[in-house]
Amino acid sequence: MDHTIHLPDPFNLIITGVGGQGNVLASKVVGNMLMEKGLNITIGETFGASQRGGSVMSHLRISPRSGFSPQIPKGKAHLVIALEPTEALRVLKDYGNPKVNVLCNIRPIHSIGVISGDQDYPLLESLQKWIRELCEQAWFINATDAAITLGNPILGNVIMVGALAATRMLPLDRGRFESVITRTMPAAKVEINLAAFDRGRKMIDN
Amino acid sequence: MTDLLAHQEGARCLLMGNEAMARGALEAGVNVAAGYPGTPSSEIIENLANAAQNGRLYVEWSTNEKVALEVAAAASFAGLRSLCVMKQNGVNVASDFLLHLAGSGTRGGMVLVACDDPGALSSVNEGESRHFARLVEIPLLEPGGFQEALDMMKWAFALSEKIRNIVMVRSVTRLSHASGNVVLGPLPGVDAQAVFRYNGNILDPMEGPVISMPVTAKHGLQQKKLRQAVALFDASPFNTYTGPDAPEILCITASAGYLYSKEAIDLLGLEDRVGLLKLGTTWPLPSRLLAKYLALTHQILIVEEVTSFLEDNVKILAAGMGPEIGVKTIFGKTDGTIPSVGELNPDIVIHALLKITGVDYQGVPADYTQRAETIADTGAPARDLTFCPGCPHRASFWSIHMALQMDNRQGFVCGDIGCYSLAIFPTGFSTLKTVHSMGSGTGIASGFGKLGPFGMNQPVLAVCGDSTFFHAVLPALVNAVHQRSEITLVVLDNSGTAMTGFQPHPGLSVDASGNAVPGLDIARICEAIGAGVRVCDPFDLETTRQTLFDLLESRGGVNVLILKKRCALSPERKARKDFKMSVDQAVCLGSNCGCNRLCTRIFRCPGLIWNKEKKMTEIDEVICVGCGVCASICPSGAVVKKEKA
Amino acid sequence: MHIYGAKQLQEDVFGQDLCIGCGACIDLCPYFKSHNGKTTLVFPCDLSEGRCYAYCPKAEVDLDELSRQAWDGPYTGRSLGNFREIIATRAGKKMSNGNFQAGGTVSSLVASALKHHRIDAAILTDRDGLKPVPRRVTDWREVVRCAGSKLMVSPTLAAMNHGLRDGFSCLGVVGTPCQMTAVAKMRGNPMSKENFADPIALTIGLFCNWSLDARQLASFLSEKTDVSGIRGMDIPPPPANVMVIETGNGQLEIPLSEIKPLIPPTCFICLDMTSEWADVSVGMFEGRPGWNTLIIRSEKGAELVQQARDAGFLETGGMPVDTHMHLSNAALEKKQRSLRTLIRRELINNNNDKRSALRVAPGIVQKILGSKTERP
Repeated sequence: MDHTIHLPDPFNLIITGVGGQGNVLASKVVGNMLMEKGLNITIGETFGASQRGGSVMSHLRISPRSGFSPQIPKGKAHLVIALEPTEALRVLKDYGNPKVNVLCNIRPIHSIGVISGDQDYPLLESLQKWIRELCEQAWFINATDAAITLGNPILGNVIMVGALAATRMLPLDRGRFESVITRTMPAAKVEINLAAFDRGRKMIDN
Repeated sequence: MTDLLAHQEGARCLLMGNEAMARGALEAGVNVAAGYPGTPSSEIIENLANAAQNGRLYVEWSTNEKVALEVAAAASFAGLRSLCVMKQNGVNVASDFLLHLAGSGTRGGMVLVACDDPGALSSVNEGESRHFARLVEIPLLEPGGFQEALDMMKWAFALSEKIRNIVMVRSVTRLSHASGNVVLGPLPGVDAQAVFRYNGNILDPMEGPVISMPVTAKHGLQQKKLRQAVALFDASPFNTYTGPDAPEILCITASAGYLYSKEAIDLLGLEDRVGLLKLGTTWPLPSRLLAKYLALTHQILIVEEVTSFLEDNVKILAAGMGPEIGVKTIFGKTDGTIPSVGELNPDIVIHALLKITGVDYQGVPADYTQRAETIADTGAPARDLTFCPGCPHRASFWSIHMALQMDNRQGFVCGDIGCYSLAIFPTGFSTLKTVHSMGSGTGIASGFGKLGPFGMNQPVLAVCGDSTFFHAVLPALVNAVHQRSEITLVVLDNSGTAMTGFQPHPGLSVDASGNAVPGLDIARICEAIGAGVRVCDPFDLETTRQTLFDLLESRGGVNVLILKKRCALSPERKARKDFKMSVDQAVCLGSNCGCNRLCTRIFRCPGLIWNKEKKMTEIDEVICVGCGVCASICPSGAVVKKEKA
Repeated sequence: MHIYGAKQLQEDVFGQDLCIGCGACIDLCPYFKSHNGKTTLVFPCDLSEGRCYAYCPKAEVDLDELSRQAWDGPYTGRSLGNFREIIATRAGKKMSNGNFQAGGTVSSLVASALKHHRIDAAILTDRDGLKPVPRRVTDWREVVRCAGSKLMVSPTLAAMNHGLRDGFSCLGVVGTPCQMTAVAKMRGNPMSKENFADPIALTIGLFCNWSLDARQLASFLSEKTDVSGIRGMDIPPPPANVMVIETGNGQLEIPLSEIKPLIPPTCFICLDMTSEWADVSVGMFEGRPGWNTLIIRSEKGAELVQQARDAGFLETGGMPVDTHMHLSNAALEKKQRSLRTLIRRELINNNNDKRSALRVAPGIVQKILGSKTERP
């Protein structure tokens, strides 16, 4: 099935969210899955201070070749995965283009500017409308709510990886996911992460 | 963290730049590694400490960077291979010893890795460590990719042993914290023996005492070593040229700048017009190699981060080689083609090349960009940095701010380096009024505290973290006590080096590799120095504030208040809610007179939601960690905390 | 009355050094706090109207409005305000001997009011060492513990705010003229709260020519004596011209000339020496030690005095014309001095959106400034 996916070279994927949402883990898992597929991966990310409530972005450069910059050139993203909807807009502003695709978790996380009332958080309908306007294809799911039903909102990131697999934008399959998390996570956490991956896949199939 | 010992030779891994450098050190047979945590450098020591659990390798988080460099130097003096790791400004701390070490020379291979942070993504400066290599006259290497990060480490150890001096490897955030594919090399067997020989002649580099004297003689030897390095650099595999034989423009670059330049040339389709000279050895410059490529064209573009280090050195070289290579037009920082502040990216290089070549490029249709900007301006409210939900610092600064305001004598707080530096922003109620380097808060406070005779009667406070306390606050505190400076130091003790990922420090009873070690008690140290010491739980706002009043009103020297509470992200507290929080909507005053949204408007914990429609505060269950502090600040008792079973 | 918010209060009162620290704004909300005699806005509040401003006795006080509310008529500018009778009083037999500054009248009236359930609780000023502190008293026998002059304004009205929050609806408040002004503003329900019921059943005002800055006095006295040993303080009537400090080791006399620099500047814009908005006002009886001057202003005040006398809490006597005139002259002179200061500092009757500390009908201003002190 994966063989039918033809990737641009390089394929530029941005995973974005808010510090604490598990952005880095998601990019590592996706990167490792694709690397095992034989592709070369460069991941650029910022963390450190960004754990503290800031916007977090991982840039994945996916190619049979290597040596790409850890920062995607402006306007050159092929796919944006947003763990938080306003972060999708922030990324599209710099890296979007009319052909970009967006996979978006619709659960808001209010910034302290919004909490304090200095700024307004947009209506979800507006966010979805704007995101649709700025991309070719968009998928919206509530990964956080689904993660809560699995017992922990942090699983939202893995649900998004599952959903990404189901979009068939990239050659990602369950077996590869299992092998990567088995290798990189404590044994006790493998099962729940597999469940999260499956939940995410179903959210796109439906 | 990746288990760097788990993979065999030839394995292809996705490694972070820092992991690749750590693996490179392991493949070089490093015996001792020391450092002080600092973004973006910390993962190197962390990964080595992890590897040290399985092998004959000693790794420590030292008290500060200078001590780390000294610890690593001892191993080299004893004939072992040693590594020292720090972030850019750590090199400043270590630089006094570094100057003398460069003068005395080393024995076993010794490498200093400095991770710079162009753009200050996780720093309060974008200082450059590269200048130190030139300043203290030691070789400088800069990896331009992930595989090279690994390979260069091995080469650096070998170079150090060849010239018997320390070698500096400089990384940047976008390499250290980026990941790429790396093919691993073999891990050597470990059979190193440590012996320190000192009975030889003072000029004998391997058998004599290790000192920088007689200075001019040793200095001469040191410069000879550098010339040796230049000869090796001219043939180094880390200096590469790609491009036409007769390029219109020669782009000289290093480090992440190489990846950006390559991408820019590729995107613009300028492969036939622009030659790319990537340097891995950036000090001293490989002069013969440069002479060869500088001769290819008169238009030179230099792409580097942050200041014009490469550019200045190339200009000096080019000036000296004028008759041989001709007159050059050099584009870079000096003429403004490349900005001399902030980090680079492919687009900055694209625009530099557009300026020089005059070609057309539009990455994305202009109307798209315009529309996306308009939407993002309203649709994506800015995300200012904030203390995490449940962070003890928010509570600590609440009390400090409150005490200083109520004291009403224009008291102020000198800040320091750690998560708590964020208290210059509203998340910490804008409490900090100075922030400089590690330990400087207390040093500056010590100085302010002596300005009474000049009419200054404002109370002076300093804050520091527990790790910072040991790193550089101690000497300042000793000074303040000794000079009878009137200050209050608040130690925000969250039991770890939290900002960089909970590395242990001398106050904890565990070391980098998880072994039990004696932990030093900050309270007892302060008492022994002669300061008055109080300890409070920062979540107990009332007691903390009263204690601060006591200290602000007490006369006579230095007081220390230790506010002790584990970081909310610490393994011990993470994912553990002490309380289930809720808001009684019948009681919440919202924006009415009597409250005006104290919790959301002022306290601003990310775990709160201001429901604009209902004009009520709510708890964001996904974000709230149940620390309970917001219940203590609510004037109407609307925020309710229920003990978790 | 014009009402603004905390930001304007910060500008108008703190910014112009007019805060006396009466406590009217304390703990109505989390933003105003009092510590060691200083009131501070600890965090910004952006509400355009707040109780802090509405109750402040130094911000947009409209004397006509207060007068209409209290006496059903405009402010007249009479030296001693509106009153029914001025008499001499002292504690009756029912009162055990307290640390009375003069005649013990305040303690006696408060005790009687509590005993006879005219009020549920009394808001008084106690002392903690040198520091005056607010106190809420519900047992009439405890009243005498708060007796004695403090010479510094305390944030006493914070205790009133606490009392209201704790559900008291029948409070008696003892305070200085500025505090009586704040209470009067509050009782007018300036924020137009629904279902407002006046929670204040009795106000006993004190005579006050000026008060002392608590922090400055503390630091001044700490250079003269062990502050923790201070038991009482008083300024005896002229011609003594000293402040007397009672310490464990006897009395310490400090010339008033050394004390006067510790008077906060806001006392020099105050028109009210005798607490004109209170039910009764109490002060020294110059020339008759052990007695007080009592001004009975309201019907409620008259009833209180009558009851206290009948029950043996209070002893009364006549007031010589000379004493009355002397008091009246002193009150007039304070009004005139303060009006001149208000005018010079542009704090009165400003127009064109410029806020004022005080609003008084211009004719009354002229009348007061033109009045002559009476000579017997």
